[in-house]
Amino acid sequence: MRKTPRITATLTAILMTLLTCLTGSLVSAQDASGADHSFSITEGTHDFLENHCYDCHDADTQKGDIRLDNLTDLENPKRLDLLNRMQEQLYFRHMPPKKKDQPDEEERKAILKVISSELGVYEASTLEGKLQKPEYGNYVDHEKLFSGEYQDLPGFTYDRRWLISEYIFNAKFQRIVENHPKTNHNGTRVNYVGSNSIRELSLANPFLLPTNSGVRYYANEDLTGGHLSSMLTNAQDTSEYITDVLVPKSKGKYLPAVMEIIAMEEAHAATIASRRAFLESHIERICGEIYGDLNKAMLPTFVPVVLQPMPELKEGEKFKKAGINVSTGMLEKLGAAPLVYHTLTDPKLAKMSDDEFRSYCERVWFFRGDHERTIQSRMALLREFVTDFRGVAEGQLRRHKKIEYNPLADEEMDVIRASIRKHRKKGDRYNSLIEACIADWEQGFEQDLIAAGPPSDKLLSELVEQLSLKILERPPTVTEAVEYLELSKSYVAKLGKLKAIQKLIQTFILSSEFAYRQEFGSGEADEHGRRMLSSRDASYAIAYALTDQSPDAELVKAAESGKLNTREDYKREVTRILKQRDTIYQIDPILAGKSYGDNTTDLAIRKLRFFREFFGYQKALEVFKDEKRFGGDRLDQATNRLVNEADRLVEYILKNDRNVFEELLSTEEFYVFHDGNNERMQEVSDRIKSIYAYFKDKDWQNFKKEDLSDHYDFLKKVKMRGVDPDNLDARKRTGTTIQHFKKSMTSITARLDKGQKDAAPFDMYRGYGSDIMPGENVAKFYNYRKDNWDWSAVQPAKVPNRKGMLTHPAWLIAHAFNTETDPVHRGKFVREKLLAGTIPDVPITVDAVIPEDHHKTLRTRLASATEAASCWKCHESMNPLGYTFESYDDFGRFRVEESLEYPEHIVEKRPDEARDRNHLLDLRDIYKTLPVDSTGFLKGTEDESLDGELKDAIDLTGRLAKSRRVRQSIIRHAFRYFMGRNEFLSDSKTLIDAEQAYLKNGGSFDAVIVSLLTSDSFIYRKTIAN
Amino acid sequence: MTSRRDFLRTSVLGSGAMALAPSFHQLFAAQGSIGVPKRFIFIRKSSGIRPLEMALRNFSDKDKALDEKKEALEVDLNSHELPKWLRGLDDHKENMTILQGLSAKMSENVHYSFSSVMGCFKSNRNTLSAIKRATIDFELAKLFPSPFGHVELSFAAGRTGIVSGYSAPAPQTRNYCYADPDTARSELFKSVLNPEAVNSDNDMLSFLQSKEGQKISGIQGHEMKRQESHLESIEAIRERNKKLISISGSLAKHLPELAPVHANGGVNASTPEKQAAMTDVLISALKAGLTNVVTYTIDDLGTPITGLPGNETDRVGIHPLGHDEAFGGVPAWKTREQIRISHINQIKTIVEELKKTPEGGGTMFDNTMIMYFPENGETHHGIGLESPFLIMAGHNCNLDLGGRYVRLPVLGVEGHKTLGNWYTTLLNAHGNPMEHYGDLDLEMARKKLDQTGAIKQLMA
Repeated sequence: MRKTPRITATLTAILMTLLTCLTGSLVSAQDASGADHSFSITEGTHDFLENHCYDCHDADTQKGDIRLDNLTDLENPKRLDLLNRMQEQLYFRHMPPKKKDQPDEEERKAILKVISSELGVYEASTLEGKLQKPEYGNYVDHEKLFSGEYQDLPGFTYDRRWLISEYIFNAKFQRIVENHPKTNHNGTRVNYVGSNSIRELSLANPFLLPTNSGVRYYANEDLTGGHLSSMLTNAQDTSEYITDVLVPKSKGKYLPAVMEIIAMEEAHAATIASRRAFLESHIERICGEIYGDLNKAMLPTFVPVVLQPMPELKEGEKFKKAGINVSTGMLEKLGAAPLVYHTLTDPKLAKMSDDEFRSYCERVWFFRGDHERTIQSRMALLREFVTDFRGVAEGQLRRHKKIEYNPLADEEMDVIRASIRKHRKKGDRYNSLIEACIADWEQGFEQDLIAAGPPSDKLLSELVEQLSLKILERPPTVTEAVEYLELSKSYVAKLGKLKAIQKLIQTFILSSEFAYRQEFGSGEADEHGRRMLSSRDASYAIAYALTDQSPDAELVKAAESGKLNTREDYKREVTRILKQRDTIYQIDPILAGKSYGDNTTDLAIRKLRFFREFFGYQKALEVFKDEKRFGGDRLDQATNRLVNEADRLVEYILKNDRNVFEELLSTEEFYVFHDGNNERMQEVSDRIKSIYAYFKDKDWQNFKKEDLSDHYDFLKKVKMRGVDPDNLDARKRTGTTIQHFKKSMTSITARLDKGQKDAAPFDMYRGYGSDIMPGENVAKFYNYRKDNWDWSAVQPAKVPNRKGMLTHPAWLIAHAFNTETDPVHRGKFVREKLLAGTIPDVPITVDAVIPEDHHKTLRTRLASATEAASCWKCHESMNPLGYTFESYDDFGRFRVEESLEYPEHIVEKRPDEARDRNHLLDLRDIYKTLPVDSTGFLKGTEDESLDGELKDAIDLTGRLAKSRRVRQSIIRHAFRYFMGRNEFLSDSKTLIDAEQAYLKNGGSFDAVIVSLLTSDSFIYRKTIAN
Repeated sequence: MTSRRDFLRTSVLGSGAMALAPSFHQLFAAQGSIGVPKRFIFIRKSSGIRPLEMALRNFSDKDKALDEKKEALEVDLNSHELPKWLRGLDDHKENMTILQGLSAKMSENVHYSFSSVMGCFKSNRNTLSAIKRATIDFELAKLFPSPFGHVELSFAAGRTGIVSGYSAPAPQTRNYCYADPDTARSELFKSVLNPEAVNSDNDMLSFLQSKEGQKISGIQGHEMKRQESHLESIEAIRERNKKLISISGSLAKHLPELAPVHANGGVNASTPEKQAAMTDVLISALKAGLTNVVTYTIDDLGTPITGLPGNETDRVGIHPLGHDEAFGGVPAWKTREQIRISHINQIKTIVEELKKTPEGGGTMFDNTMIMYFPENGETHHGIGLESPFLIMAGHNCNLDLGGRYVRLPVLGVEGHKTLGNWYTTLLNAHGNPMEHYGDLDLEMARKKLDQTGAIKQLMA
């Protein structure tokens, strides 16, 4: 057997060869201009195929339906597809198979060059694109990266633009429209950043990131027509929102040039609105003043509406009249409520009979000029509901205050009276008169606008400057100032002032500079052709590495004052932002969308988000689960809390910043139904304990409502849910006061009767109002029974049968199917994310289905499908790792027995729907079980003391936490996350330094970040040659 | 003059005009010529459709028993009498399929389903982040591209203007919709009605193209390709606009005329008037080739209803009607039936208008499918146990439809099919080989019953 010669060529070199071939062949393809290109196999290529491929892939064998001996005969599309597959198999060293003779490096390089050249002719190669994706990052040799052999290679990143992420998109628009949302953080109401919504402005985010676990945001995406198309609509909506809402609301403080340009229009609009409001309320009075007794005579003859008669009900037919809530709602929607309620509560008018009242209202509406159909609908409502309206009229006055007569300024009143005199015609209803007056005023204002002419160049230049600063966060260059001024003038000439401003806003938003982050070097190149990031670009690179926001004031100042030019400068700024705790970031817009409170952190959000995405536990929110299999109660709330508590745990470990990786992988302490604030949780627990202590020796089970009065002071102090001692007769949808009291006492007693030291704060408001803590069923993921749960007020606290994030139920659910566990993907996660290993793509011929067998465990069934030789070559890298997690079911609950969830195995059938929800509710059907086998095997830590047989997931995670390879693998992923690209051998020093920083600083992840963001790979940029 | 401050009163998205033919990222890539397209019209109604309301009147005793027990059943529509409210479509029975027994538990039910009835996920009370995937209409729109890609019309909540819709072009993305006939007409036919908007868009795109073009010099490698691609993107939008202008002759020919009562949102138009006007706009948009997929929310629980037979002068609410509370002395069930009849009148108009319009060797209707269904399942407070579908399909439809009453086995038994199966059927039949669309049903999963893939008995 031929031995593999010592590898001398690096994968980077091979990639560069491929790129070179591609570039060269692109030229030749252009030269060829589509001319015929014949494909032939040289002698060398033939020898390679003969020696390494034909054994399995010739006309006779065709293993995997692949045949390579007829490459020259194939039509182009088929040949190119096959060549792409060959290229990947050879490049990723999946072929020839490990057990076969291997080509030496020169041979491999040569055949890759041939394939790449041929693909290059047609610009058909797919490998280069794949190699830029994060999931292919591990194909760069791990040992070489950390061996030190390549640490003298100068690190750099190519000059680039980086398409903004969904988060940066949100932050940009929030910044532009100066939206400052508030949320709860640690019990207080604070401003936060990271919201994805703006009230009254709906934007379509075209920059959504993929939802896979691992690194999601990379610098390899380009802006497409699709992005631009969505942005066109976003830009239009935003421009209208700015001119129509923001500018008027700010009274000219927001983009003052806009207000100045449209000041006259705004003044006109305000005047018209004021006159309209006055007339609509007081037209009858003002006309009475002008025309005196003649006024009535000028009105048209009253014509009542005709209503459809109420039909006779047929025998046996029933008619149930709509309720008062429906009828009052309709009265509101029909715009009839003010007159109806004001009339019914007016001492002079309220005595009218129903018919007189209806007639009175109808006349008012008729003379006002309301539409006949509207009056019809109102009258139909009054026909059926007038008695009901009388009953509620007083109460409705709070919503419909009577409008007092307050005349406008004398000059305005003069204008109004003059206009009425000018336009009043006999027989007109009031609305026609009002519209005629307004049309006249508007016409006059239009003339004023024409006379005022277009805005001055100076004003338009100010607008350009303000928009550039607002949208692009920089002043326009001299050239831009001229270009945009000319553009503005042409917009004004064609569209008028308002539309021109909107169009200019849109033009700025649609600039490529808005959609891309800029990362270019500037200044003199060093001996390696590298230049440092320009100060401005560096400020954005740092800000976006750690947050989604633009640079803060200090970063901007540093960039502008020449203090962002050295490695020390970078270190100062990165360290400052990492230590900063005065900005509150929303963690998860999905949780926010579910109205999940306290979903915030004061850590730089991208630090927390790295681990969130690395572990991918947030995907638990998307896995659709069966509430009945969970136990039947509020699974959604429990899952929200579970993910939030996973965030809390990561945040806790990051804030301690000691042995971060080891802690994340092996902590035995978790948050379970806890908001992360020990002090507050203790307070709540103490209050519940005080209730228990107070009532436990009393005969509360037999209390009547009146008995609660004897405990007035205590109940007033502790505030039990649904128990208001000042209103013991209260009855809520959920029951009476005494029912609420007993329900809470039952739950509290069950939870504290067995000597528990603390009381979990469920089934109980912390106070009146909405300050509740949902999701107590999170306990079920941890196998806690709520009637005997030794909940701790001080958390994170030890939880049995768990060790690290890979045993956190959120991670386990995120890596599970709807109804079953997923050992393959759990194993794949460990192999790729933690052991820096590679798993080939699933061959397209594989139909990945686990066979059904009602008498076997999932593991046994999976093994039967994947342990055949052809499957096992890939699955052996995943299954033995993933099997260890079989100690947990697909909800992440610990188990030693696996339920055979098939109808024929039901031992106890429980109801599908809860009749009475209480703390012991469990709707799970009981099935026959088989013992769980959670043994596995660890290979690939490159550490003999760690590799070997595994007992279960706890054994696995304990060993992973001790592995140097795991530490390095996490650092490689952190590199990708913060750099937005895959690592190359020239990044070797950066990675080694990051690992050393971690070790020298007691396992500090902050130290890793500082190291990465002050590395040559981050600071230095190189121009990529054509 | 409407005050610009009316912005908020009229629309959550803004009262201003949108781009000439706005579209989403996901549809933009699907531009291209496709020959004679297939068309899909989804008509969503609120407050459920009770399966018994769809049942045929002269079932045999045996068939009636199967239908009521919700067991598998198939009968020929031509030999059966339709329920009263469907009789407006008597002349088109050969194109009609009544599909009963689909479950919709994976979508949201009770009062509202929002995006979920067309996306097969839980919409968490219309939360943006809960939108898990592109809805079925957008998936079909990708297969049959058109200048607008997709059009959503809606009478939900009695809004007017351009407002947020229920369809979703992609995960976490919400569509917009036209909420009154006047807005729909002016936006869809903007290149005819408002050529200034076209010109101003073109001026801006031209400026951007020139400005971005200047940036090409001095950059190399991938950045240069990136910039070229950016320029191509601008050009692609200009091309799309040009295409719309080039068909403006055809657009003008199909421009619908609306009565004055529909101006400014048509607050005084009656429900039958509004529906008829929206239907006119819908038909015109199809005939003009502006879109091949329309989703039409014909009502939701907040839609004000006026002018129905029996309640001519009443304003009635669909929500109270769902609770059997009624108006004007007319029992609730009768008003509910009139509401359904008004819907069927719209379907009839669409069918007959498209049947009158030649296309290829036949008519436009030959290539059209209309689906009428409840947004929230089998009753006013649906739980997703059943989601009845009325389907009107032309002869060139890729499915085995027409003249059929099909009842599928009820949820939880072998052979049961879900909304996901139905949508998978639509996709598979029209060129998307997706294995299964939407979330799976958990009861079927719990019982280990097969539930993925298309409904074979409907595949041609």
